[in-house]
Amino acid sequence: MVFSSHIFIFYFLPLVLLIYYVLPARRNLFLLIVSYIFYGWTDPRLVLLMFATTYINYVCGNIIYRAEGDPIRRKRALVVSVAASLALLGFFKYFGFLEINLNYLLDTIGAPLIPVLQIALPAGISFYTFHCISYTVDIYRGEAAPVRRLSDFACFVALYPQLIAGPIIRYHTIAEQLVSRKHTFEKFSSGTALFILGFAKKVLIANELGHVADAAFGAETPTMIDAWFGVTAYAFQIYFDFSAYSDMAVGLGRMIGFEFMRNFDGPYRSESITEFWRRWHISLSTFLRDYLYKPIGGNRLGPRRTYINLAIVMLLGGLWHGANWTFVVWGAYHGALLAWERWMGKESFYARMPRPMRIACTFVLVLFSWVLFRSETISEAVNYFAAMFGFLPHASGTPLLAAFLYSPATLCMMLLCAVLVLNPVQAFDWVNKLTWPRVALLLVLFTYSLANLFVQSFNPFLYFQF
Amino acid sequence: MEQSKSACIVLVVMFLLFIYAEPAVQAISDIRNGQAPIALDVFKRAPSPTNLRAYEDTLREQSVVANAVRPHLQHWRFEVMDDAGKNGLIGRDGWLFYRPGVRFLVEPWRRAGEDQEPLRAITSFRDQLEARGIELLLVITPGKESVYPNRLTRRASEAVNGHVTTFMDSLKKSGIEAVYADASAESGGDESAYLAQDTHWTPSHARDVARRVAGFAIGKGWVQKGNAIYDERALTIERHGDILRMAKSEPLLKSYTPEKISCWQVVDRTTGELYKDSPDSPVLVLGDSFLRIFQLDEPKNAGFIAHLARALQMPVTSIVNDGGASTLVRQELRRKPEMLKGKKLVIWEFVERDLRFGTDGWQIVELPD
Repeated sequence: MVFSSHIFIFYFLPLVLLIYYVLPARRNLFLLIVSYIFYGWTDPRLVLLMFATTYINYVCGNIIYRAEGDPIRRKRALVVSVAASLALLGFFKYFGFLEINLNYLLDTIGAPLIPVLQIALPAGISFYTFHCISYTVDIYRGEAAPVRRLSDFACFVALYPQLIAGPIIRYHTIAEQLVSRKHTFEKFSSGTALFILGFAKKVLIANELGHVADAAFGAETPTMIDAWFGVTAYAFQIYFDFSAYSDMAVGLGRMIGFEFMRNFDGPYRSESITEFWRRWHISLSTFLRDYLYKPIGGNRLGPRRTYINLAIVMLLGGLWHGANWTFVVWGAYHGALLAWERWMGKESFYARMPRPMRIACTFVLVLFSWVLFRSETISEAVNYFAAMFGFLPHASGTPLLAAFLYSPATLCMMLLCAVLVLNPVQAFDWVNKLTWPRVALLLVLFTYSLANLFVQSFNPFLYFQF
Repeated sequence: MEQSKSACIVLVVMFLLFIYAEPAVQAISDIRNGQAPIALDVFKRAPSPTNLRAYEDTLREQSVVANAVRPHLQHWRFEVMDDAGKNGLIGRDGWLFYRPGVRFLVEPWRRAGEDQEPLRAITSFRDQLEARGIELLLVITPGKESVYPNRLTRRASEAVNGHVTTFMDSLKKSGIEAVYADASAESGGDESAYLAQDTHWTPSHARDVARRVAGFAIGKGWVQKGNAIYDERALTIERHGDILRMAKSEPLLKSYTPEKISCWQVVDRTTGELYKDSPDSPVLVLGDSFLRIFQLDEPKNAGFIAHLARALQMPVTSIVNDGGASTLVRQELRRKPEMLKGKKLVIWEFVERDLRFGTDGWQIVELPD
């Protein structure tokens, strides 16, 4: 189910809020049931897969905790939990990719090809796998105790606001909230405001710019200007789409008493790639830092090893986004830039420029990475880069692309996006002070977004595919 | 400015009002219409992915509130945001365009071998007809965006069509005869060959193409002129174009003046009646909505088929399927093989964008023996 859908806004959410606040007890159990309905809406069978992952990690968590004096048993249980979670993720997300690449190799040496399994990727598996891993690792590290009830743990894994596309919640940050959390009117109202802002960002901006980006990336031979315009539209689309989901997730969480971490902090205001990764998908970058980068040595083993570790983390981070070479190269590109900036003393190579130029340079570097991220194949990405630098000959249909890209409304939208992404006050902070003018603006936005929802066709969030 | 508690209360109350009002209004409306609330339909079917999607679609499509708001917002978006809906594009000087047609010109073939699928299907059809002693003539109709790209965007200056040029070359190599129904050959004057608000051609261009196709077929010796004499009866109709209608907004339609269109109905001189197809004709015509317009809908018998019959001086047989010229018309022919009885020529029309977007693709359809 999608937050920005008719059924969610007008049926699922009202019903859940009503029953949740009427129930005197066992609210987590109720949240678990509705979260499974929310998740199983795409395909009810997927709930079984999620439950299997949940159950394995719950059992392993208990074993780790109880075997306090037995480090080998603890380690085994941890290995089992992490391996089982990653194995499921690996099978559903990467098995087909491995088969295709293996076939490519077999084909080159003339060996018979193997049949490729058509495996559908369960939505949100990348996210809930990380939730599960954080649970057993946090218990292993002594940062949290296991939950008493399986239903509470299952609720943490499946909690509908953050289930499909994060933010990635680490168990120790939410353990207490699972047992007891405060429901206050302030929390509910700021959650409502954040939800409305996220909804408006998704419906009014991301979905509109999605058409522009799709046209540019779908074109056979975009001109240089079209290509830059298209990738800029995509940069805005992915930010307003993904941050919208996070805003809505945090907002929905607050409505039921939870406080989730902030996932974005004005990433396009960054002055270096290192800063960009402190502001973009914060829950992923901090997860990778704490559960991968630090365990493999972080920056403790000397500069050379630090660069290698950064590259490993970013490569795997890239691969986490999808089983495609484009994501691997995307990760490698960011890894290389991060390593370079680390080598330069955590500064970018354009650090001496004035601030607006530093922001612009970072944005351009990020734009290059979005070409890789958006393209379906490496050759498509190369083609698009060629268009960006004017190396692509024009086909006869090229001039018509303008009809998809440059309407007055689109140009206004792009301008608005530029203002919004550079604004130091982001949605997460904006809702902390709800004054009358802000509330009036929120109500106008909500009304207009709802009306637009009625004319838009189905439009899932970009991060659903990961 | 400080946080206002009363403002927060208003926000929450209004938010809840919005999200509870829609299902409440829907339920009341359903009950007043004498049926159970559609929200309860979820319990009527097994929760399979297909049923759940269908249920979700029903809730959205039958929503009383959404259906009340949608036409007005669509109108507003059309006027203010240049958004002509899912399938439309707003061009210059009041011209509207069909989005898939533009996509066909702008995008490459997507899948490996996609460009070969139409050729394979056409060749197979040609071979099956040839075995029955029937000739095949293709009529490939350009979309209006190919003919008038400068009315879509100032940046385009001349007619465009890379894919079709290549495709016509492939047809030629395969020995398949085709007429490209472009407008440049006969639209020397100021009159447009396509309607401004519609995806289709004007009656005069349909008539010109029909004459050209008839001349081609007769020139090849595939058919000879018949004895029937048809006259033309001029009349003018007014209608909103299909691109406007696709936006599904009554207020939008009201804000647009319908196009005045000069048509020529084809009338049998002997009987004085409007043209009628004949199953005994040696010519079978297959095609899409370009054959339907003015022929099967208002004013009737003023479209391509009637004018083709007039030029051939004999009635023809026809199968027309909107958007289904790539595969569906041949599937219908497979269901009605008696339509091929006594035929010497099959004229198969399809719009060029169907090379990529034809309904059900380009399947090879085996005709029964």
